Parts: sequence; C-alpha cells; structure tokens
Amino acid sequence: MSDFLPFLVTQCLNALSQAALLFFLGCGLTLIFGIMRIVNFAHGAFFMLGAYVGYSAVHWTGSFWLALIAAPLVVGGFGAAFELGILRRLYGRDGHAFLMVTFGLTLIMGEVIRLIWGVEALQVKPPDSLSDIVFIMDEPFPVYRLFLAASGIVVAIVIWQFLERTRLGLLIRATSQNAEMVYALGTDVALVRSAVFGIGCGLAGIGGVLAAPLVTASLGMAPNAVIDTFVIVIIGGMGSFLGSLIGALLVAFVQVFGTYYFPDFALALMYLIMLTVLVVRPGGLLGKEA
Amino acid sequence: MRFPLAVAVVLALLPLGLPPYAMTLLTEALILGLFAMSLDLMVGYARLISFGHAAAYGFGAYASGNFLLHTSMPLPCAVLLSGLLGGVVAIPVGWVCTQARGISFSMLTLAYAQLLYAVAFKWTAVTGASDGLAGIPRNPGPFGVTWWDTKAGFYYLTFAYLACAFLLCRDLVRSPFGAVLRGIRENEAKTIALGYNTRRYKIAIVAISYGFAGLAGALYAPFAGFANTELLFWLLSGQVLIMVIVGGTGTLIGPIIGAIFFLYVQQKLSNYTDSWALFFGVIFIAVVLFMPEGIWGLLRSRFPRRAA
Amino acid sequence: MALLELDDLTKRYGGIVAVDHVTMRLEQGEVRAVIGPNGAGKTSLFHLITGVVKATEGSVRFAGQDLSSMPAHQRCQRGMSRTFQLTSLFPELSARDNISLAAQSRDAKRWIPFGGGAVFRDAARRGDEALQRLGLTHIAERPAGLLSHGDQRLLEVAMALAQQPKLLLLDEPTQGLSVEETAQAVDVLAGLFAAGDLTVLLVEHDMEVVFRLAHKITVLHRGAVIADGDPETIKADEGVQNAYLGGFA
Repeated sequence: MSDFLPFLVTQCLNALSQAALLFFLGCGLTLIFGIMRIVNFAHGAFFMLGAYVGYSAVHWTGSFWLALIAAPLVVGGFGAAFELGILRRLYGRDGHAFLMVTFGLTLIMGEVIRLIWGVEALQVKPPDSLSDIVFIMDEPFPVYRLFLAASGIVVAIVIWQFLERTRLGLLIRATSQNAEMVYALGTDVALVRSAVFGIGCGLAGIGGVLAAPLVTASLGMAPNAVIDTFVIVIIGGMGSFLGSLIGALLVAFVQVFGTYYFPDFALALMYLIMLTVLVVRPGGLLGKEA
Repeated sequence: MRFPLAVAVVLALLPLGLPPYAMTLLTEALILGLFAMSLDLMVGYARLISFGHAAAYGFGAYASGNFLLHTSMPLPCAVLLSGLLGGVVAIPVGWVCTQARGISFSMLTLAYAQLLYAVAFKWTAVTGASDGLAGIPRNPGPFGVTWWDTKAGFYYLTFAYLACAFLLCRDLVRSPFGAVLRGIRENEAKTIALGYNTRRYKIAIVAISYGFAGLAGALYAPFAGFANTELLFWLLSGQVLIMVIVGGTGTLIGPIIGAIFFLYVQQKLSNYTDSWALFFGVIFIAVVLFMPEGIWGLLRSRFPRRAA
Repeated sequence: MALLELDDLTKRYGGIVAVDHVTMRLEQGEVRAVIGPNGAGKTSLFHLITGVVKATEGSVRFAGQDLSSMPAHQRCQRGMSRTFQLTSLFPELSARDNISLAAQSRDAKRWIPFGGGAVFRDAARRGDEALQRLGLTHIAERPAGLLSHGDQRLLEVAMALAQQPKLLLLDEPTQGLSVEETAQAVDVLAGLFAAGDLTVLLVEHDMEVVFRLAHKITVLHRGAVIADGDPETIKADEGVQNAYLGGFA
C-alpha cells in the first residue's frame, strides 16, 4: 500500500492539470452563455486556433511566453470581431440561430486553419525551464503539468477577482441578470457583449496554447474540445463560473481515474454522469435554467 | 399538396436520365431527407431541438445491419423492424430528456447520443466497435425478391419509404395530436393550463421522430453496406439540424429539400475544391442571416399558394 | 357542499409568505371577487388553486375531491378553467384555432394521431358558441397576436368558457384595457354571469368592475384574508380601507 499514496498524489496532480485545461474552455463558454445566452458551438475551434497561433508564435519568436500572450489576444480579438460583424445581427432571434451560425463558423475556421497550417499535427515545444521532470514522493512527474495546474489556479483566481472587484466585472454580472437595466443606466451593453465574447474566446485561446505542448496542435482538437466543454458546462451549470470550475474538476478526475480503473467504460462513464446530473438538476449543478 | 406532389413526380422520374453514380447520390439524399424530416417533427412542430439525432440514425443502422447479417429476414422487414425498435427504445429516452426544457432538453439529447457513441465504440459483439459492421447484405427474403440489389431498385425502395413516411407525418401534424403539438410549440404553459398532459405528447413525438430517424438509418446500412460509429457522431447531428433549418422548419418537405441541397452542394463543391467545408460554413451563416425561413420559405414567398 | 373549499391554504417562499392560511368557501353559481393591493397574493392564490404552484400547507377541495396531489392539467380536466394576468394565447394561430384547441381538450379523442374530423368539428362547434357568447365572432379568423388588447382578454375568457368549466377563474380580465374597452368587457361579462350557470372566481383591481359583477367579495392583504362578505359590507369595512391606503369610498 505504500506506493499507493505517491500514485494517488501524482494522479491527483494529473487530474488537476487536466482540469485546468478543461476549466479554460468551460469558463469561457459559460461566460458567453451566461451573459449573452449564446451557445458557442465554435468554442472548440477557438481553442484549436489558440494552439496553432501559439505554434506560430513560438516558431517565429522562439519564445513560449510570448506565445502565451499572443494567442489569447489574437483569438480573443477574432472572437470579438466575429461578434461585432455577425452575431450582433442575430439578437432578438431565437437560440438556434446562434447555434447554426457558430456551427458554420466551426466549419469555416477548421478549413482556414487547414489552409494556413496544413494537415500535419504540429509540435510545440515548451520552454526549457518547464521541460523537466520532478520527483514527487519518488514518482516522476512532468514539470509542465505542474505549470498547467498552477496556471489554472492562477487564472481562476484572476477571473474571480475580475468579476467581483472590477467595474467591467460588475457590469458583466449585472448584464447577465438584467441587460435592459444596465442599458438604461447608460452602459453600452453592446460593448459589454463584445468584450465578453472576446474574453470567452480568449480564454479558449489560452487553453489551446497551453494544451499544445501536451497534445500537439492538430485538426482533431476542435471536435473533441467542443464535446468536453459542453459536458463540463452542462454538469456545472450553464452560466455559472463556479459551476465550470466544479465541472472541470469532476470531469478531469473521472477521466484520469476512470481511464486507469475502468479503461473500457471511462468515456461512457462521463456521459452517464452528465445524464444523471441533468435528470436530477436540469440546469446543471449550479446553473440557471435557460 | 401540389408542391410536394411535384417534388415526388420529379424524384420518381429523375433516375431515368441519370448515370449510376448520380443515382447513388440521390438515394443517399433521400435517406438523409427522411432523416431530416424526422427531425423536423420535433424541431418544427414541437420546438424540441435535438442535438443528438444521430443517435436514432446510428441505432437504426446497427439494428438493421445486425438483422441482415445474422438472420435471413428480407430487407424491407429488417428496415421496418429496426425503425419500430428505434421508436420504442426512444420512449424512455424521451421520458428522461423531457424532464428538462429548452437548452437543457437539447443537452440531454446530446448526452444520450454521446453515451450511445461511447457504448458503440466498445460493444464489439453488436457494433464491431471502431471497425463497425461491414458487408451488410440486402437480404432477398422467402420469395427470392432481389430487385433492390440494383441501384435503381434500391432507389425506388427508398423513395417508397420516404413517400409513405411523408404521408404519415403529414397526417400526424394535421391530426388532433398535431394541433396539441402546435399549442406546445406556441405556448406550453397555456397548453398545460388548458388541460393537456404536455409531457406525454412530447415523449410521444420524440419517440415517433426517433423512430423515423431509425428507419432512415436502417435504410442506410444496406445501402452503403456498412455501419460504423460515424453514424452516431455529433457532427452528423449538427449536419442534419442544418438540413432542417436550411430547408425550412415546420414544413416536412423543406428538410427533404434541405437534405438534397446539402448533399448536392457538398458534391459540387468537393469537385472544385478541397475546402468545401469552408463554403458550407459561409452558406449556412448566410442562410441564417438572410433567409431564416429556409429554402422552402423562399419558394413559398415566390410562388404563393392561391386560394382554393 | 361548496364547489370550491380552501382550507388554511398557505404558500411560503423561504421567508416570504405569499399566501397565508386562506380559508374560503365558494358556492355553486356564485360570482366571487378577490381584491387586494398589489402583492396581496391574489395571483399566487390562483396558482395554488389551479396547481401551477404546489402549496406549502393547507388543502384545496373541488366538488368534494381533494386536489392536493393533482397536477395542473388534471385539475383543468376536472372542470377548472382559468385566464392569466398577462395575456397568454397562441399568437400565431387564429382566434378560432385558439378556441378550438381549448375546446378540444375536453374530447376523449383529443390525442389521436390521424384523421380527427369529428374531433375538430365538435371543438369548432363549442368554440363558435363561446365566441358568440363573448361577442367575438367577427374576429374569429384573425391571428390572435394581431387582435386588440381588449379582444385578446375576451378571447382568453372565451377559451376558458369553451371548456364548459364548472369553475371559471379570471385573473384581472380588464387589466390594460381603456375606459371604453373596460365598459364593453364588463357589459359582456355581466351578460355572461347573468345566465347563472357559471361559478366564477374573479381577481380584479378596478372596484367599479367588482361592484357590477360580484355577488361576494374576499379581500386579501399580505396573503391573508382580512375581510369577506357582500359588496356593501366590504365598502364600509375600515380594515379594508386602511389596506388600500385611503380607501375608495
């Protein structure tokens, strides 16, 4: 039993690093849904774009840290532009118009990425400082995963503080509860919406560039990411920041331990959990009903 | 009825002038048309948006695939039985999904579809896992009927199924049951207040819709000769939803046109460029922005129905 | 035995008491108005009676039967029909189709998935009768969403009537109507009630409407009944006047 504890600890850290990636995705999606009632089907595509932009940034500048800054900016900027140009025309229409349009966007982005970067999966090297292995209780563990887990925690705190303490954060929370009131108070709700969509996509972008060294940048990222993201947000509750955190942790732990103990059923297990949560609490664990 | 009749006549006569590969494509279009029409029952008439309709399609394909591979059941029977089975299995699914409303309902349908996908991936005995079922025969049955072995034969079989399904669905939406569905679509709270057990109606339409989708999938398996997990994949669920919306929701014939259009554009575009998905995306966004009533809506406004 | 018996009916939302131990007896043929200032719990009371909301305490008995565990649609089937405070119709359907759907719900074959000629004919007949009683025959073909506000409110009443209910619950039928529309509506309703075959529970804000239509009045304040009796008694009641801050005498 003495090597169970190190195993448990390393697997938990594994799960935490996984949860961090899932959290970046889930948080962005839930933010977009909570404020704008838009189900962003293209969220996986933005994640993928982040990975590819990160690849190029590293390729041209040699600096992973620069890529970490560039990716969310580019992806977030593109997201905000899309909201401005296309999504804005759809407010007042019912929900499935957004779904259709973001699905169309997924198709477009997938192709454009393929045209620019090609079909081959692209390796992104993490910086040397993070390429090491550490020993935790005599078990080897990659430093990069620790970095991921730490990033997740840092970003979670930053966003939490942003929502609670800053003026824009307050506006965002207010808009999610009563957009008309916020408008009447003189705020440009349209601007808030663009900002939120941009931030949500930017978060997906960070997730992408951080995930790239682990999974390589490939065209298959988008479909996998979309489904994972939906599962997290559905379990945690659409529109709940805390819910996306809990959902990410739950899914990550189920995936990591599930794959170890029940390799055949891990995938099915995750969807079964999603079904169960939805049946018991249709809005998700902490969500507001659509 | 005039327009659907015209479409039916065109579809019936079209194969006479087409090369074989075009007939194959048209058959696939009709199968997808049946699939799309089944989704329209839920989406267009009850506003129940399914994100996981591929579950029903794939289920039907695997069911008929197994019947045809492991029994000597004639093809039409295997197909019909699979569709029926799909509908019956969908009753508990409908019960679970209708626990929720709106987006949550849609998410539940997605969850169920993903669950089926995950199960199919592993259940080698029934689904052949990631390899799928191959070599699915078009069983002749006890009377030695083999005319559906040919491309033309199978096309007309599919056409017959689609036409019958269309007539059944049309009757359904014009019946008292259909009137209640319309009420649920327009104002569910009021419909409940009027004394209808809306939950039951919703479960019923989910089962019927999944049943017809299963029928379409059951036709696909012997058509293509194989069935695999791609048929359960959420991308297909998204594509069929697009066919319905592009074709025109709540019209039954619109989604069929949408499916034909979708396949046609896909075929044409992939001849010119590898990036047909790109143009598809642009077309979809354009349709949503500028043509929300879909193709059928556009046609109807150009050729308004004259008073009887 | 009264048609509707409410005993200690209570609804709590956390710390807020929306409906506070309401006890009421409604006799057959009676037209009872429920009045009270905003937030008094009138619509909540309707929700409890019709089953839209589950009661925290107390019971609802209708025609001698306890309804406490019965869902909303079943209570309607037992013979309760209601209208809503915020107009609730099927806007894309014509007035006739709206009423037809209401009438159809009383048909044992309302769910059949094919044909239905007989079902539709019967529903149309009952619907047309109701339209006539409410004086709405001239707008039967128009989409409900395009009707004037006054006609919409009356259409809702017609829909409830088409179900041939034992108990009619009207939630502020004249809400949002102009002075003329209100007068017209009250004339129609008065004619309707004069026939004596309806039992009506009516929530109203407009006291003139109440005095013209109601046999008895129940006054709610903060969810509880503070007065109960015929119109003259209520008019003179001091407690009621205080609740309305300045009275209406």
